[in-house]
Amino acid sequence: MSLTDARRLGQFEHHDSLQARNTRLAVGDMVSVRVRRFDAEAGGAAFQEFQVPHRKWMRVLDALNWIAENAASDLAYRWFCGSKMCGTCAVRMNGREVLACWEAVEPVMTIEPLRNLPVIRDLVVDRAPFDRKLAELEPWIERTAPYPGFPEPLSHKGMKNASKALDCIGCLACYSACPVIGLGDLTDFAGPAPLVQLGQTALDPRNDPAKVARSLARTGIFNCVSCYKCEEVCPASIPIVTRVIEPLKVKAAALVPGMAKHSHALHAVVAMRGRVDPGALVLRVQGFRALANLPRLLRLFLRGKIDPIRTFLKRTTPGATAAARILRRGDRA
Amino acid sequence: MKVISTDVAVIGGGAAGCYAALELNRRGINSVIVCKGLVGKSGASIFAGNLVLSGRALGNTEDNARNTAEFLIKYHNQFLIDQPWARRCGQWLENVYYPELEEAGLYLRRDDNGNVVTSPGKIRSVAANVQGNSGVPFMDLRRKQVIRAGIPRLEETVVTALLRKRDGSVGGVFGLNYITGEYVVVLARAVILATGYSDRLHTRSTGTREMSGDGIAMAWRLGATLVNLEMQWWHTNDIADPPSWQRMQVYPNPMLGSEKSARMVNSAGEEFFNQQQDDPLAYGPYTVQLKALTKQVHAGKARYDGGYFAGFDHCDAAEVDAYTTYGKSYRQLGLRFPEDLVETAVTAHYRQGGIDVDTHTMRSSVPGLYVAGGVGGHSNGLIGLATFDGKVVADGVAADLPQLALCELPEQQVDTERRRIEALRAVRPDGVSPAKVKEKIRAVMWEKAGVEKDAASLRSALGDIADMRLDLLPRMSVSRGSAAVNYEWLDAIDVVNMLDTCELIVQSSLERQESRGPFMRRDFPRQDNGRWLVANVMRRTENGFRFEQRPYDLSIFKPDFAVKDNLEVAW
Repeated sequence: MSLTDARRLGQFEHHDSLQARNTRLAVGDMVSVRVRRFDAEAGGAAFQEFQVPHRKWMRVLDALNWIAENAASDLAYRWFCGSKMCGTCAVRMNGREVLACWEAVEPVMTIEPLRNLPVIRDLVVDRAPFDRKLAELEPWIERTAPYPGFPEPLSHKGMKNASKALDCIGCLACYSACPVIGLGDLTDFAGPAPLVQLGQTALDPRNDPAKVARSLARTGIFNCVSCYKCEEVCPASIPIVTRVIEPLKVKAAALVPGMAKHSHALHAVVAMRGRVDPGALVLRVQGFRALANLPRLLRLFLRGKIDPIRTFLKRTTPGATAAARILRRGDRA
Repeated sequence: MKVISTDVAVIGGGAAGCYAALELNRRGINSVIVCKGLVGKSGASIFAGNLVLSGRALGNTEDNARNTAEFLIKYHNQFLIDQPWARRCGQWLENVYYPELEEAGLYLRRDDNGNVVTSPGKIRSVAANVQGNSGVPFMDLRRKQVIRAGIPRLEETVVTALLRKRDGSVGGVFGLNYITGEYVVVLARAVILATGYSDRLHTRSTGTREMSGDGIAMAWRLGATLVNLEMQWWHTNDIADPPSWQRMQVYPNPMLGSEKSARMVNSAGEEFFNQQQDDPLAYGPYTVQLKALTKQVHAGKARYDGGYFAGFDHCDAAEVDAYTTYGKSYRQLGLRFPEDLVETAVTAHYRQGGIDVDTHTMRSSVPGLYVAGGVGGHSNGLIGLATFDGKVVADGVAADLPQLALCELPEQQVDTERRRIEALRAVRPDGVSPAKVKEKIRAVMWEKAGVEKDAASLRSALGDIADMRLDLLPRMSVSRGSAAVNYEWLDAIDVVNMLDTCELIVQSSLERQESRGPFMRRDFPRQDNGRWLVANVMRRTENGFRFEQRPYDLSIFKPDFAVKDNLEVAW
């Protein structure tokens, strides 16, 4: 197995392969399923257990269908197509976001609704917060020149990142897995799913850069900590961080003044000093406004986070020169 | 109960419904889309694998254009199609459809040199982003166009009845938001029905969960004339297991950027179908494929529910992966790709027939009720044809609208419908679960009105349907009485429509006394162009229904024989 992306890495860490996942159970074995039931009217959530007979290549959705047909006919779960196209059946299985129609059952499974969205009943979540965020981003194309007629000049090279984003089925698995979205209103981060949907047109060379800038300004994209959780769970195998969020960050840095201030500052500090100097970072991001919060600065100093002497007096080292060279090379690429 | 007023109520959020609403919007006409699922995410449109090139688009030659028309009329519709409509449709696709989509941002797959990638062969196609998944970005774009235009959507809302104005014409709908449990009435000046044609009426069906023949059943209850309901299309190689993957297709179509396509192998390991070799003209060769399989079933080397295999073991993985999603299901099952074949089975797919329409205006036989897309009986579909319907219906409605008054709230109809729907939420001790009834209906259709049928099996199916009405419907019960997110209740509502639609399909199947394309009667194995090259029209009468035959305009193509064994006819 080659470790080319976060998804493979996650599978590798779990000693997991698609072949293993599909051969763990034999036909007729019992699959033990715990489903989180939630009923606002009846007052709360509880887990309910079911024994589901395994059948060939059973998916999580097949297990849910079996339960609804044979054991709990009022089980509420959303699905439409059963073949990884509609993107409405995502749930969490044993703590990991999966598309129910796509993922093989595990011998013992706990099934829960997606996180970071309100649960309406059992496994059905309210998609409205995502829909609202997406609509605010205006995920469409605006042209600076009239459409030149079919087929218009366009190459796959120009579309290579947008094309990856176009594989998105809007299942919201990544939205559930994102720890920054999990922080709630603490940040203004739009989240991975809205960003992938936006990336479909914002990374499209046909789009008006001014329009892209307007959309990106509303994304809070620099709150993304590049933890790759979104990539790990994406059932469409979209390299969400490397091929969508990072390229969008590059666009935001170039198109939206001030949006990437922190990233630019970090970049400059590393280029100059060959390492992250928190004192220099605070100074560059906040300037002398930092002095307005002296108790905080003092706390940072006492805990060894910042060291004004090092920040102001440290000389350039050979390491810093090398780092600067590497970063400049990265900027040119 | 929520009451909304608008100019036009559009029922259905697939290719036809979305385009109708967008076209109305461009003409300054308000509409509301009522969708049983999520606009652009449910229904059959998301399954579009690729987009067939029509006319002279993208370097198509005159021969290509003619082949595409021949494929549509012959292989796709077995001549049961309005040929002048097909010609108008082809011209519109060439001149309006591709430019409209691309201007809106649809990415028709390019290579690194900027050429649009096409499949080679006599009929060419292109893909939106990737072959096998074109419907997803296509419908995602439609969803966003609808949002951008500010067209209101009522989603996860099932329309249960069409409402009539005082003059008897259709002017509104009654529905239920099954997530909130709230009833909704949309009052309009006209109603467009765009509920699709890929219903889950058989044990194995390609349609999405919510497709239960609602459009056919509701239109019939109001007296709409139907046509060719018996003409059921089948997918021949959908993956046999697991059950949720019953529409996961091993696409037989020519691959983009390759000369090869999938091959099919019987239980003895003998290849019995390879589209590029067996019938290069039959682009999307579903009927040719089905007939090849039927011969294998007759020879005992395959079953309709499995026992045969399909795959790409004669191709390089890189060749298949370049522009298609075809390897994804193999890999997800832990199979080796492309070395391994996968067991496949037949699945009920599109229905050629539907509600009878005037193809110039998309009017149905009921005033005020317009039809677009697969639920119409004028053609078997492709996403482009369904989109063209959206344009034609918008033209038709826009022309009629000045004469159409806004529907007033028909309180008695609303009250009657509300009682009917409420009654389906009854909790009865020892009741029958609606999901079980659905399963039973599908089993009857699969076994007795499946790929091959005869008068005896069809009559037996009618008997089963009558029994279910008498015995199961009154005992049907949900286990939880609450109104919100009650999928059992939705299932119960669906069951009524499924029984109605299935009965109409079986009656129509009895009426057509021949075999034609994918419609196979054991007792009438021959295709009979002398007697049956006609529309099988089903008209509602005061005490039931009657069938009529209506000939087709054969001005472009006509069959070159009168009577022939259907299995010996290529298409």
